[in-house]
Amino acid sequence: MINSIDLILVLILLAVLLSLGSSRMMALIKIMALQGAMVSLVPIFIEPQARLSNGGILFFQLMLLIKAVLIPGLLYMALNRIAIKREVEPLIGYHASLLVGLGLVMLSAYITRRMGLSLPGDYALLLITAITTTGGGLFLMMSRTKAITQVIGYLMLENGIYLVGTALTKHTHNIYLVEFGVLLDLLAGVMIMGIILHNINRAFDDVDTAYLEQLKD
Amino acid sequence: MLEAVFCLPLFAGLIAFLLPVKLGRGVLVVGALLHLQLTLLAWLSDFPPLLPGYFSTAPAGILVLLVTSFIFVFIAPYSIFYMREQEMQSEPIFIGSMLLFLGTMSMAALAEHPIVFWIAIEATTLVSAPLIFVNRSKKALEATWKYVLICSVGIALALLGFFFITLSMDRAGIDVPLTFSSLNTAAKHLDPLWLKIGFIFVIIGFGTKMGLAPMHTWLPDAHSEAPSPASALLSGALLNCAFLGIFKVHTLMVLAGLGDFSGSLLIGFGLFSILVAGIFILKQPDYKRMLAYSSIENMGVIAFGVGIGGMALYGAMLHLIHHSLLKSSLFLSAGNLLLGFGSKIVAQCGGMTRLLPRTFVSFFAGFLGISGLPPFGVFVSELLILIGAFKAGHPVAGGLFIASLALVVAGFARIVTSMSFGPSRQEILVPEQTLRIVSPFALLLTSAVLCVWMPEPLHQIIINTITVIGGTIHG
Repeated sequence: MINSIDLILVLILLAVLLSLGSSRMMALIKIMALQGAMVSLVPIFIEPQARLSNGGILFFQLMLLIKAVLIPGLLYMALNRIAIKREVEPLIGYHASLLVGLGLVMLSAYITRRMGLSLPGDYALLLITAITTTGGGLFLMMSRTKAITQVIGYLMLENGIYLVGTALTKHTHNIYLVEFGVLLDLLAGVMIMGIILHNINRAFDDVDTAYLEQLKD
Repeated sequence: MLEAVFCLPLFAGLIAFLLPVKLGRGVLVVGALLHLQLTLLAWLSDFPPLLPGYFSTAPAGILVLLVTSFIFVFIAPYSIFYMREQEMQSEPIFIGSMLLFLGTMSMAALAEHPIVFWIAIEATTLVSAPLIFVNRSKKALEATWKYVLICSVGIALALLGFFFITLSMDRAGIDVPLTFSSLNTAAKHLDPLWLKIGFIFVIIGFGTKMGLAPMHTWLPDAHSEAPSPASALLSGALLNCAFLGIFKVHTLMVLAGLGDFSGSLLIGFGLFSILVAGIFILKQPDYKRMLAYSSIENMGVIAFGVGIGGMALYGAMLHLIHHSLLKSSLFLSAGNLLLGFGSKIVAQCGGMTRLLPRTFVSFFAGFLGISGLPPFGVFVSELLILIGAFKAGHPVAGGLFIASLALVVAGFARIVTSMSFGPSRQEILVPEQTLRIVSPFALLLTSAVLCVWMPEPLHQIIINTITVIGGTIHG
């Protein structure tokens, strides 16, 4: 069992690094779909027996549907309407971003060791992955100028926070109803952001946030 | 069942999306009135929740709910008459979003489970986004984008904070249901380190939404670009809901014996917010942005009062009530000004006394009130906070508090006098209308009345809110 969870976590880490190094929007969305699917699978492998109750099975299917299909689907639709293929000029270049990503992995490993927590099942890699994903999401939001990449960064941040939650807290607290509410918020959030993106594109003929600097003091 | 308080506006909002405009307006006003009645029921009579693990009638939440519901009743009819002048293309969306906004805010106020509270606060961001970009101008789009993205990220950090608080429970080996009240009971046994880290994330996360500097950057944009009734709701109701999250975790910290830590953070953020607002108000060319900065200032005052505790805590709760009343009144008056002058730039507005005399009275009275002059309630609340600060042994903080407040009043006064008595324009676009004057005046009047006479149940609920963490009214 330990091997399959490690495999999933490594895939999530890889998705973070790939997203930092890729310039094509389409590739980014595919990476997010992969990461969403992997993140949804993590809890099942951590505590298989406790997780697979009736409500649990339904919930994980819903989560997989939302994170791996619906959200990437919404992004895909938004991308089609705004017709951009790639991020042209990121604030921080792709190679530098990759280096930052590697630095993040090391930093996360350091933080995890310093925290000295006994994680459920001793999945040390879980917390490292969680912190890297959170940090990677924040970095992506700050270093890219296209609004749609920022949405992807936000999604990655949310994935990371969800992983932190699974890594740190006991699973007796998790109530599917509440987790479902969080997911629903995320889905609605991406939907609203998609609508605003569409409107920004119509008003400015681009979704570059450099245009969004009229309001200031 | 308590859940009806937020289910009613949520359903009404969803229905209003589909209804024709005129019917939708009716739903808005009726929904507001029904919501106030349900709120009063939840407040004054026994109204048990259907899901006690998720929702409760905790006093702090009821107080925020009461303020929200009360100002909504006045904003709803105003917004109908405001919309009439504006010829908005997507009014059903506006009306529906207003009701959904009310519903999600009520849900946040009544939430007992931290994650449910988080869900409700994130939902307020999402349903209020259409209210801001309803005009679809480039500036409104920019404001909405910043609002949604900055607040979503901020609130995501607050979720992380709640996870750390849960961790502090697990580390201590306590197994209680994850609700604010059971956390409060077990507070003494929680792991202090993780509780502290959790509080830092919560204050940064919800502080973003509440508009505490330096996380306030979205606030002036969103408040100035939204239509005035929406700005009034954002400022008068939404900021309180975000504050509620910080307050609940602060309560937990005080009960866990970490009140000094969380109190100092609140004092720091509070003072910094007042100072930043003062600096930006001083040279502000836009009167709606000025009102937005004034909201940042007042949120700073509340955070400061809560951080000091004792008598200042009572002051902070009073301040929350009166700021909501006065600021929403000011934003509604600003809506009348915007209709009349067609501009948000102070230099292009002048001669308010002659052109819009009744709006002048409401705007000027609101200015006096928010600056802390009697007969409005902010006078009492700021005085209590100040006395509380000196009594609790924070003379330096108290001094800074006065200095920053003076800065805000100076900037505010410059703008208001130039608009009221400055060189007059020749004509106005939309004349005053009694129906759009009633709401701001009613809100002002409520603040003045509450300053001299406070109903016993209201007094009681403030006391219930603050005694848990050592707040009193007798120094």
